[in-house]
Parts: sequence; structure tokens; C-alpha cells
Amino acid sequence: MVRASSSDLDIVFAVFVTAAALASAVVLLVSIAGMRAWRRLRHAMIARRLDEWREALYVATEDPQAARLPRISALDLPEFLILFNHFGESLRGEAPGNLARLLRDHGIDKRALALLRRRSLRLRLIAIIAVGHLREEDAWTALAELSRDPGPVTSFAAARAMLRIDPRLALEVLGPSIIAREDWPLARIATIFQELGPALVTPALVNWLLGRPRRGLDRVVKLARFGHRHRISSIVRGWLTGSDRAEIIVAALDYVEEESDLPWVRGAARHEDWHVRMAAARALARVGEHREVAILLELLTDPVWWVRYHAAQALTRLHGLSPNELELLHENARDAYASEMLGHALAEARLR
Amino acid sequence: MSTVVRGLEWFFLLYFVGINLGYIALNLLAIPTLQRKIAVRPLENLPPVYSGFEPPVSLLVPAYNEEATIASSVRSLLQLDYAEFEVVVVNDGSKDGTLAALQEAFALEVFPEAHWRRLKTQPVRAIYRSRMYPSLRVVDKENGGKADALNVGINASRYPLFCAMDADSILQRDSLRRVVEPFLDDPRTIASGGTVRIANGCIVSGGHMERVGLPRHPLALVQIVEYLRAFLFGRVGWATINAVLIISGAFGVFRKDAVVEAGGFMANTIGEDMELIVRLHRFMRARNRPYAIHFLPDPICWTEAPESLAILKSQRIRWQRGLAESLHRNIALMGPRGGAPGLVAFPFFLVFECYGPFIEVAGYVFMTLVWIFGAISGTAFASFLGLAISLGFLLSVSALLLEEVSYHLYPRFSQMGILVAAAIFENVGYRQLVTVWRLIGLVRWLRGARSTWGTMTRKGSWQK
Repeated sequence: MVRASSSDLDIVFAVFVTAAALASAVVLLVSIAGMRAWRRLRHAMIARRLDEWREALYVATEDPQAARLPRISALDLPEFLILFNHFGESLRGEAPGNLARLLRDHGIDKRALALLRRRSLRLRLIAIIAVGHLREEDAWTALAELSRDPGPVTSFAAARAMLRIDPRLALEVLGPSIIAREDWPLARIATIFQELGPALVTPALVNWLLGRPRRGLDRVVKLARFGHRHRISSIVRGWLTGSDRAEIIVAALDYVEEESDLPWVRGAARHEDWHVRMAAARALARVGEHREVAILLELLTDPVWWVRYHAAQALTRLHGLSPNELELLHENARDAYASEMLGHALAEARLR
Repeated sequence: MSTVVRGLEWFFLLYFVGINLGYIALNLLAIPTLQRKIAVRPLENLPPVYSGFEPPVSLLVPAYNEEATIASSVRSLLQLDYAEFEVVVVNDGSKDGTLAALQEAFALEVFPEAHWRRLKTQPVRAIYRSRMYPSLRVVDKENGGKADALNVGINASRYPLFCAMDADSILQRDSLRRVVEPFLDDPRTIASGGTVRIANGCIVSGGHMERVGLPRHPLALVQIVEYLRAFLFGRVGWATINAVLIISGAFGVFRKDAVVEAGGFMANTIGEDMELIVRLHRFMRARNRPYAIHFLPDPICWTEAPESLAILKSQRIRWQRGLAESLHRNIALMGPRGGAPGLVAFPFFLVFECYGPFIEVAGYVFMTLVWIFGAISGTAFASFLGLAISLGFLLSVSALLLEEVSYHLYPRFSQMGILVAAAIFENVGYRQLVTVWRLIGLVRWLRGARSTWGTMTRKGSWQK
């Protein structure tokens, strides 16, 4: 064995690192080539099958008996379910039920159920979405368990599937998570609530609002817009008088529709939180009359742009205020910000 | 004497090994993020449904002498797939007919807008509204640079999120939807960006990416590999530990309140995009506020790479000056209170990205001189070059592997062959040349040269 002297140790070191780097690069290149070859093979295999599956699913949306679905191998199952999930997301009416029937007739519902237990996150997600579209009641227990997963992706996907399978029961079971789990994005919950419709979500929303949870009430209030307005309104407007939390008052102000609430709205217009003042200006735009001009002119000098903006908008919408009076208010405004904002609102009103 | 030579030789060898080990570590950090991204794709690729709860976004388009392309750029932005957004074009005192082109294309009329002057900027001359598109406004202002134009855009914007972008960025219809997703999923998010890819060789129609391809020009080709390295494992790796220090100015979304509170974009800087991100880290950490800066590996924005050495040189000099400026203005981020960005990313950027060109050029010059003067053997010199080049090649190939497993945008075998050849060329000649340009940038920064709008001559021959 040749021992390196101290003078050529640097060369040995450099050569060793170079050889290791080049060998690793070659391994990576071979991996790339291997993956590429496998991908091409799979692509060629799946392309024709995708056409057959698509054709079968199209036919099944109208008549599941008439659809000819070829046997789907274990290797192809994830790709097939991805296609089915796309159909499921975009179809309404009887079509989803017809598709589910086709899949059940071919035993794919049971195979999707089995995929729920796989370790691969990708396979599990595909299966969760699929059993949701299939309205697969046998998946309920597994989904309920997955909905308690600490990670938001799996838990939320499972929750969504449960809401598809049995919305009423799911709203009851998942209520605490919908309210309190901040890692469940509100925008995504909102799309589900929108899909379910007010008839289904209103009872749950009313229960949650009446419960006034300490944590997550702001989320419930935001979701409340998907419920029947008259049912929600009667609860939320009551909070105007009994709450000192800004977000609660803002929510209540957004439901103000009657003149009888005006005394509270006027009080809110002087609240220390600008969000409340802004919501008060918006409420005045809906229900205010000529006599609210003074308070709106006061809001027009607010330090916050958005409060001034909504106050100016409210003035242009106020019942009983003529265009001439508005022009006069604009000309006589002493505060530069107020004048500028009123000019802006008037120009916008002319565009409407 | 020979001890000094030997010592320096080891220093440069270990430096090259150190910097590449750093990148390999980033590569390893990026892998789980990419794996997860691939795993959740069946969920992400489902048809989008909007509920009205998506945060509306103001797209800010600073424009300076963009007469030829501005109308088509804005038209493509107006077709983006997203729930609610507005487009605010800021004409930064262009000397050409940028404003006239916009007026003609979008039937603009002056509007007496009371915009919120939260950030100090150059004076606004007028604000225009489009009679054709209610969501389009144009702000005409005195020249003040890109950062100043963006600040004017922030002042004029209506929505809680804003997207800072270049007028000539090429997007996909779902780019905005994808880049906003971190704001939906993580309430702590204050900024989000995505991977920028090279558009040369692609087919672009109506301002949107239609088909991905490879360019013929070797300089553009080599930049594809370079961008894959920078984005797929550079920024994705940093994002894994919430230590992204750059979100490209070509396309990034920000929470407006956080940016305004931190002082907006810094005027008179070259790298206003990086400077803002580094400052946001510093600002949020100094106040102990929870925050997240996300980086998506998804290719969401495409840009034309320079195919001329002169333009590439000027671009890299500008980038290096921007990098040095951004780091030194926010040096307070460095240290234990800076968390992962201050403890890991900042020192890494300072040593390897900012001052790296000094050491690298010194290493090449030193090794060449000591070889010429006979202080080291030809074998030692060759082994030094072999080490520097082979480690760089390994990193380039690993970026190609990440691309292969994640987005697979260049599917043909011939395309992969071309990219491997580009990876070799990148490490033999190109990187060394870029390092010299970066050194020039560093020297210019030290001499305090003034910042201006970057000029980039676009060919756009791939646009339909």
C-alpha cells in the first residue's frame, strides 16, 4: 500500500473528492435515465387506457349500465381514481351518483377503501377524495380517524370527504374542528359550505353562533354568510348591544338592516377600533338617512383611509341626500382628506 | 514560503468543498419539501372552486420605457385565473410612449383618486382608470426607480395582498392562484414566491406560457441549469427552515400591512426584492412576531434570459451589487436572535454568495500562479480544478434530478442530453466567468455606484 506524504495529501484529498463527486453524478444521471425510461413506458401504457376510462365515465354519467369499464390493474388504480376525482369535482345532479354506481359495480369502491390504509400520502389523498365522491359510508370510521390527523392536509381532505358522505352528521362531528382548527383554511371550508348550500349549513351555524365559542367565533361569524341571512341576522344583531369585542361588533354591524339598530350604529361609529368605525360607515350606507350626514362627515376626517372611504361611499348612497347637497358638502369640506375622499366617491358614483 | 503556499492551497480546497457541502445540505433539505409537493398534487390539481374568501390581490406592475410590450403584458394579466384581483400599472416617468400605449389600449381616463399615501414616494402626476376594465388602474408618476414605483403601487392598491412583478414576466393562468395558496393555508404568511424559469425556447401566446421547450442558444441553455440549481434546491431548501432571503422581483406576493409597517421597498437600491425580504425577517424577529415566508417550487413565472454576454454581464453585476447591498443594510439580522435566517442563511449568503467571488477568483488566480511559478505540480493544479469542477457538476446534475422527479418539464431524452451537456459547460468556463462578473459587481458596490432601472434588451422571438 502506498502511503501519501504530507506534500501530496492535498492531491489525494482533491482526487478522492473529485472521484466521489463524479461517481455520485454518474449515479444520479443513471437514475434520471431510469426514471425517464419508466415514465415514458408508463405514459405510453396509460395514455390509451385513459381514453377508455374517460369514455366509460362519460357514458356512465348518463347511464352506468351502458358504460364499458375495462378491468383496472392495481398499478393503474391511482391514475383511474385521479380521473374519477376530476369528474367528481366538476359534476352535479344525478351524474355523480351514476358514476359511483359504475365504480361500485366494478368493486372499485372497496379497492379505494383499501388504499385509505396505505402509508403513501399521495395514495391516501387520492383514496380520501375518491371515497368522498363515492359517498362511501363504509369509509366513515377510517375518515373520522384521519380527520383527527395532526397534519392539515390529510385531516382536512378527510373532513371534506365526510361532509360529502353525510353532511349533517359530519357538521355535527367536525364542528369543533371547523371552529377551532386554524390550520384548516377558512377559504377551503367556505368552498364546501358554498357547495352544501344554506339549507344544510344553517342549523349548524345557528348552533355554533348560539354557543359563542371563546376560540374560533370569528371563523364562525365569517362562515355565517353561507347560512340563511334571516336566521343568522337575528342572532348576530343581538351582539351589538352585548359585546365589547371588536370582531363581534363588526360582524353584528354587517347584519344591520333596520333603522331600530341605528342608535347602536352611531355609537359604533365612535369606537376606538377602526374596523368597527368602518363597519359602522358601511351599515350607515345601508340603513342610514339624511340625519346621519353629521356623523358621516365626522368619519370623513378619520385618520384611517378605509374609514374615510366607506364614509364617503355612505354619503353618496344615503337616502334623501340629493346630488346638489353632496356637491355642496364636497365644496365646503374644510379637511383636505375629507374633500379629496368625497371627490373620489362622487367620481365613482358618476361611474355607477 | 512553501508552508504559506501549502496553507493557502488547503484553504482554497476546503473553501470549495465547504461551499459545495452547503449546497448539498440545501439539496437534502429541499428533497422532503418536493416529495410532499408531489404527494399533494392530486389534491392541488383538482379544478379550483372560489368561495369569495380568497384574499383579493393587487398586481403591481412597475413600468419604465415599456412602450412596445406593456399593452400585451397588461392584457395577459387581466386574464389570470383568480377570484378577485386588480391590476395597478405604475408608469415610472417613462421617456417613451408607455403611458400613451396604455391610454390607447385600455381607454384610460383621469380619475380624482384619493389614494392612501402610507409610503413616501416621488410625486404622482395622475391616476387613470380604464373605461374597459374596471379592475385596471394606471398611476403616472415622476421617475424614482423600481422600488419607488412599487411603493406608489402599494399606496394606490386596494387589497390586503399585493403582487410585485416585472412588466415582462410571463405567467401561467394559474400562477396567481398558486402563489396565494400559502396565505390561505398559513395565516402567518407575509410573503410568498415561486420558481422563475427561463422562457427562451418556449412558446408563449397572449402573454401566457403555452409550451415549454429548450432554447438553441448555449448561453440561455446554461442559464436553465443555473436557474434549476438556484430555485429547485436553493430557495426550496431555505424555505424548509423558513429562511428564504430572496423572493424574485419578477413575481412575489406580500401581505401589504407587514410591508408597509416595515417601511415598504427601499428606494435607491438595486436589489429591492431581496432587501425587502431580508428586512422583513429582521423586522418580524426584532418584534418577536410569528411569520412565515413561503417559497413554492412550482414554476409560476417565466422570464427571458439574456443571450448576449454584454447583457448577461450587466445583469450579474447588478444582481451582485443588490445582494451585497441587501445583506449589509440588514446586517443586524445576523446572530442568534435572527433564528434560522440570521444564524444559517445570512452567514451562508454573506460568506459564499456575497464575498464568495473574492475567494473563488483569488483561488483560481493563486493556484494558476503557483503552478506557473513551479510552487505546485501540474498534478496538484489539475486536481484542484478537477475538484472545483466535479463538485459543481454534481450539484447541477442533482438539480436536474430534482426537476426530473418533480416537474419534468423537459420530457424528451434529447432534452435531458442537452441539459447534461449544458451542466458540463456551466461548470467549465461559464461559472468562472460569472464569478468574475460578480466580483466586478462587488467592487462597484464597495465603490458606491448609483442604482438605476436595470436595462434588459428583450428579444421575445418566442412570443406569438
